[in-house]
Amino acid sequence: MDKNKVTPTQPLVVRIFHWGFALSMVMIVLTGFELHSPFTFLAFNYGNVFVVHMTFAWLALGFVSLRIVDAFIRKDTSFIPKLSDFRGFVGVLAYYLFLRDSLPPGEKYNSGQKFIFFSWFIVFAVATLLGIATYFMGEYLVWVWRLVGGWQIVRTVKFLAAVYFSATILVHIYLSFTEDLSRLQAMITGYERQEP
Amino acid sequence: MLSRREFLGLVFKGAVLGNFINLVAPPIHQALAQGEVKKIPVLMIETGTCTGDSISLDNIWPPTFGNILTNLLDWRYDWTMMQSQGSQAYQVLLDTYTKNPYDYILIVQGTIVHRDEGNYNHVGLEDGRLVTGLELVRRLGLKAKYVVAIGSCATFGGPPAGYPNPTQSTGVQKILPERRVINVSGCPAHPDWTMGTLFHLALYGEPELDKFGRPKMFYGETIHNNCERRRYYDQGIFATDIGQKECLYRVGCKGPVTYADCPIRAWNDHINWPVGCNSPCIGCTEPGYPDIMEPFTAHLPDIPFPGGTKITTNNIGFGVLGVTSAAITGHMAASLYKGRLHKNLIKSTAKAKHRPSVMKAKEFHTYRLKHRK
Ligand code: HEM
Ligand code: SF4
Repeated sequence: MDKNKVTPTQPLVVRIFHWGFALSMVMIVLTGFELHSPFTFLAFNYGNVFVVHMTFAWLALGFVSLRIVDAFIRKDTSFIPKLSDFRGFVGVLAYYLFLRDSLPPGEKYNSGQKFIFFSWFIVFAVATLLGIATYFMGEYLVWVWRLVGGWQIVRTVKFLAAVYFSATILVHIYLSFTEDLSRLQAMITGYERQEP
Repeated sequence: MLSRREFLGLVFKGAVLGNFINLVAPPIHQALAQGEVKKIPVLMIETGTCTGDSISLDNIWPPTFGNILTNLLDWRYDWTMMQSQGSQAYQVLLDTYTKNPYDYILIVQGTIVHRDEGNYNHVGLEDGRLVTGLELVRRLGLKAKYVVAIGSCATFGGPPAGYPNPTQSTGVQKILPERRVINVSGCPAHPDWTMGTLFHLALYGEPELDKFGRPKMFYGETIHNNCERRRYYDQGIFATDIGQKECLYRVGCKGPVTYADCPIRAWNDHINWPVGCNSPCIGCTEPGYPDIMEPFTAHLPDIPFPGGTKITTNNIGFGVLGVTSAAITGHMAASLYKGRLHKNLIKSTAKAKHRPSVMKAKEFHTYRLKHRK
């Protein structure tokens, strides 16, 4: 292969999904925290915070659906962990703990990334279901109420989901800026310089 | 006779004006006098209870509770209210059970104790044998026309069923799975809720119930949606302490997750209600109360960890974010020290036709591209 060539790594759909979802999640999580415990110094109009929270939740749901359809069309499983990733994860962890000098050879994403990305899909699905159930409080989706054990528990689970998102998003941003900037570039332009 | 529609109208009008019983009593009197309905026998069993619901009923005025017991309903058996006692009183219960099967309303007040076959809760003496609440409620419940559970304990277990539930208590519905129990929840139940439900049963049969068996005419809407402080909430003006006159959301108000008509109906003869006197709603009408509503002054319940400690959700949030930030800072420091950060940045930004590899120069922490000399 020509060494001067750049490899396309991130198709347009993935890039649209990524930045749309990223913006939506930041807004959902921040407004979620504001709903959880309003900051007195902000004095936001509370009704508006709700509207923002739910609007971005619906948008995020749209972006996720887009990505899932895209994954089916392209038969793309790059973000789904396989059994071998449990072993791979040990190597990844060792790299991040400075116990080895390079990442173990991996696919498009390393095992750590796969676990985080995949968990986001799951946690997002759970939080969204609970969110929609709170929205319809008692009208529809009462089985969610029963399953989880009360609106208070629903709220708690969503709060924990928001905490999980904020913690993992921080790690994600830190590593994208410090590991390989050309991968970050690929998420914007779609192309990445090819490994020699 | 009053139509059902008119009755429901009075339920609302009575809430606004604070004289519900006063409004419905005369038409019921009239219907009784004209023989359009007959007085329904009522038996009240108190199981594991503080008698709070009876005290709450006593708040009816006017007409007085006593007036209702004798003139509007055929209130037969009730420890707190009846004058006779001992086996003479108990005989009334047994007589109703044998002579009016499928004709009486059974009211249960109090939690159903299951531990050791219910033997921590005795409610009667039959032929020298102590009868448990568990046994009696089930026996009477199966032959009642309607079973009404009043108060948080009888409906969903209530405080006695709170963690760790040493008495293994539950609500009444759990021990009568074969039939519908009408749940008039609340800690205590509002006298209008109890009486309104009983009148509805006597006049029109079973009222429309919500998903948890509660009559929709009283539990149809959340506290929050009718709250007089809702405009503060919508504008984001919050009390920072109990006792202030703004919305009490930040100090743990459970109005948004609690169904009842307290904001309109108010308590103690329409005088006031919790939010009205600057203290947050504690969610007493909801299943899972009190465990999932505690701490009453916090927005979310504390999360139990093995070993019996409980941690507030905010501390968990701050803890997780704190640990993450510390880990990132630590990693960054280590990465700077080890030179990995330099290496990665040079590698991924160097202008070259293809990705270059880097080598370490002699000086501490300096890298240069391999192909340059
Ligand atoms: C990933 C998705 C989501 C996350 C992480 C999230 C997070 C949160 C958080 C942290 C809260 C505050 C909970 C509290 O402490 O009371 C909240 C409240 C709320 N969210 Fe979401 N949310 C998500 C999706 C949704 C969706 C899809 C909807 C509706 C369509 C929704 C509707 C609501 C509502 C109605 C509340 C207020 C609940 C209350 O006051 O109890 N959320 N959310
Ligand atoms: S005081 Fe409670 S019920 Fe009233 S608006 Fe505030 S949160 Fe809602």
